[in-house]
Amino acid sequence: MNLDKVIAGFFIIFAMTLNFGFWYGDALDMNMHSKYELFAAIVVNLIATVLKLGDKTQMGSVLIATSLVAVLQLIMAATIWTIYAEGDYIAPDHFGEIISLSSGALLANITSVILYIGDTLKSKR
Amino acid sequence: MRLPFVVILITYTIAMIGLILIPGQDLDGNVYHMSIFDAFYFVTYTATTIGFGEFPYPFTYHQKIWVSMSIYTSVLGWFYGIGALVTLFQDKLFLSEIAIASFQRSVKNIKEDFVIVLGYNETTSEIIKRMLAAKVRVVVIEKDQLRADYLRLEGYVPPVPILIQDAHNPKALEDAGIKSPSCKGVISLFKSEVLNLRITLASKLLNPHVQIVVKSTTDEETLNLLQAGANIVDNPFLIISYQLQMALKAPSILKLENWLYQSDTLESKTFSIPNEDIVICGYGRLGSYIYDMFLNNGILATVIEIDKAKVNSALYQGKENIIHGNADDQVYLDKANIQDAKLIIIATDDDTTNLSILSTVKKLNSNALIVARENDITDFSIFSHAKIDHLYLPEQILIHKTTNALSNPLSDKLIRCMVNKDEQWGQSLLANLMRSISVNPITFELNITEKDSYEIFKYLKKEDSYLTVGMLKGSRRDREQKNNIIPLLIQREEEEILLPEDDFQVLTKDKILFACDENAREDLESIANNAFEFNYIMTGKEKGLFFL
Repeated sequence: MNLDKVIAGFFIIFAMTLNFGFWYGDALDMNMHSKYELFAAIVVNLIATVLKLGDKTQMGSVLIATSLVAVLQLIMAATIWTIYAEGDYIAPDHFGEIISLSSGALLANITSVILYIGDTLKSKR
Repeated sequence: MRLPFVVILITYTIAMIGLILIPGQDLDGNVYHMSIFDAFYFVTYTATTIGFGEFPYPFTYHQKIWVSMSIYTSVLGWFYGIGALVTLFQDKLFLSEIAIASFQRSVKNIKEDFVIVLGYNETTSEIIKRMLAAKVRVVVIEKDQLRADYLRLEGYVPPVPILIQDAHNPKALEDAGIKSPSCKGVISLFKSEVLNLRITLASKLLNPHVQIVVKSTTDEETLNLLQAGANIVDNPFLIISYQLQMALKAPSILKLENWLYQSDTLESKTFSIPNEDIVICGYGRLGSYIYDMFLNNGILATVIEIDKAKVNSALYQGKENIIHGNADDQVYLDKANIQDAKLIIIATDDDTTNLSILSTVKKLNSNALIVARENDITDFSIFSHAKIDHLYLPEQILIHKTTNALSNPLSDKLIRCMVNKDEQWGQSLLANLMRSISVNPITFELNITEKDSYEIFKYLKKEDSYLTVGMLKGSRRDREQKNNIIPLLIQREEEEILLPEDDFQVLTKDKILFACDENAREDLESIANNAFEFNYIMTGKEKGLFFL
C-alpha cells in the first residue's frame, strides 16, 4: 500500500463527494445547501489541485485541468454568495446561479475521479 | 514543492473554522457569528502579517485565544510556503534548467542558417564577428560562466545564444540545434585532440549532414579526424608551411590567397624567400613542417632546438643540420652561422621566448629576413612593433580558414585548387583580375537552384536550353557590353572546373564563383532572378507583359 496514493485518492474523491453533497437537493431551497459544505468543498478541491501538481504525463495534465475547472467554478459560486447574501438570505435567482455553478464543478470532479480510477487500474504496482 | 502549499491551505482552513465556530459579540452585546468570507478576510491579512485589526467587531476573549494560536500556525505556514518558493528560485539547478529552456527557445527561433561554435575565446569571437557579417547566425556552447559573461557583454547583433555546458556533451549539442535543418556547421577549435575527435564523432552521429570544422596540429590527427567524418580540418602549421612554400615558388598565388581570405588586396606585399642560408629556431610542430617543406624543395635549413627529445627524434629520422641548444644563446646561433643567414624563422610555441630570440638575432644579423610566430592574439601586439618582416599568427589563420570554409565554401575550394598551380598561372590570373576589375574585387557565389537563381533555373529546366558562362557577363544596360566579372570556379557535383572559358555551358545545380565589382554583382543577381532582365540578356528584346 502506497501512503501517497491513499492521501491523493482521499482528497480527490473527498473533493467530489463534498461537491456532490453541496449540490444535492432542491436548487432553490436554501436549507438543503450548507455554506459550510461549500467552504469545505473549496478547501478540499484546492488541496487536491496542489497534490496533482508536478505530474508531467498526459494524464496528469488532464487531472490538473479538471481540478482547476472545479476550483474556479466553486470559487465563483462562493463569491456570488458573499456578494449577494443579505444576512442569511439570498434571492432565489442568485441562489440558482450558485447551485448551477456547483453542478458544473461537480461534473469536473466526476471526470477527475473517473480519470484517477482509470489511471489506478492501469498501474501495475 | 506540494507540501508548502498544502500546509498553507490547512493552516488557513483550521484558523477559519475556529473563527466561524467561536461566537463573538457585536457592539450591542448580541451573539455574532463571523461569516465564512469575514473569516477568510481576517486570516488573509493576519497570516501575511498585514494586521488590519479586529474585524468586524472587537473580539471576545474566546476569539482572542483562538486568534493568538492561529497566528502562530498560519503565519508560520505562510512563511514556510514563501520560503520554499524563494529557495526554489535561488536553486542553481532550477535556474540552470530555466536558462537551458530559454536557450532552446532562442535556438528554435533562429530561422536563418546558423553554425554552432564550441568554446568562446579570442579566436572564436573573431570568427563569430565574421560569420555574423556574412549573415550566418551563431550559437555558442561554453563551459566557463565567466567567458559566457564576456560574450553577453559583447552584445552581438543579431544576438548570439549561449549555453553553459561541456561542449562534448551530446545533449548540449542537441540543445544547440545540431539536428535542425538550418544548422550548417559545427566549429570545434580546441587544443585537445581527444576533445575535437569526440565532438566530431558525436556531431556526425547526431546529424550526418552537418559540416564539421576542426583544428588539428599534426598529420596523424588530421587523418584521424577525417576518418571520423570531419569535413574541414584546419592545420594552421601546415597552412603556414604552404604559405611559405608559395612565397618561395609562386608569390602571386599567395597574393591571390590573401585576397580570397579577405586579409589583403591583390596588391599585397609579399616577400621573396631566399633559397639558401635558412635558420629555423624551434623544431616543434611548426618548425618541423617548415623544415620538411624546405627539404621537399631541395633546400636544407638549419634548425636550433632546445628540447633534447625532439632533436633526437629528428636525428633518428635522418634529418640533418639539427643543432641541440638554446636559440637565445649566441654560442648556438653562431654555430648555425646566423651572421650569414638570409632568412630566420622564429617558430617556438612561447611568445616570450620568441621575442627574446628576436632581439638577440637582430643584434647579430640585421640584414636577414625575419619571419616570426605569435601565439596569443591580443588587442595590442608587441610583435607588430618589433619590426618583423613577416608575422604568422596560427590563430589568425584559423579564423580566416574557418570563416571562409563555412561562409564562402567555393573560395575555400578555389584556394585548395590553387595550391598546385605554378607562378605563371598565378601571375596571369592576378594580372587579369587587376586589369579587368580592380585591386580588390569582391567574390560572389551563384548557385543555380530554384531558391537562389529562379529564372536561370527555370530556363535550364526547359528542353534544348543553352546558357554559357559568357552570357552571364552581359550588362543590364546593354547586353553587348560586358560587366567587370571573371568566373573563377564552377563546382559541378564532385568536379571542380578552374577558370571556365566563356563558352562553358552552365547546368542546373552548378555553383559558380565569380570575382567582380559591386555593379556586376547587382546585375548578375537581378538577371538570375528577374524574368524581364533575364529575357533581355538572352534575347536582347524587352519581354512584353501581355504578348509573349
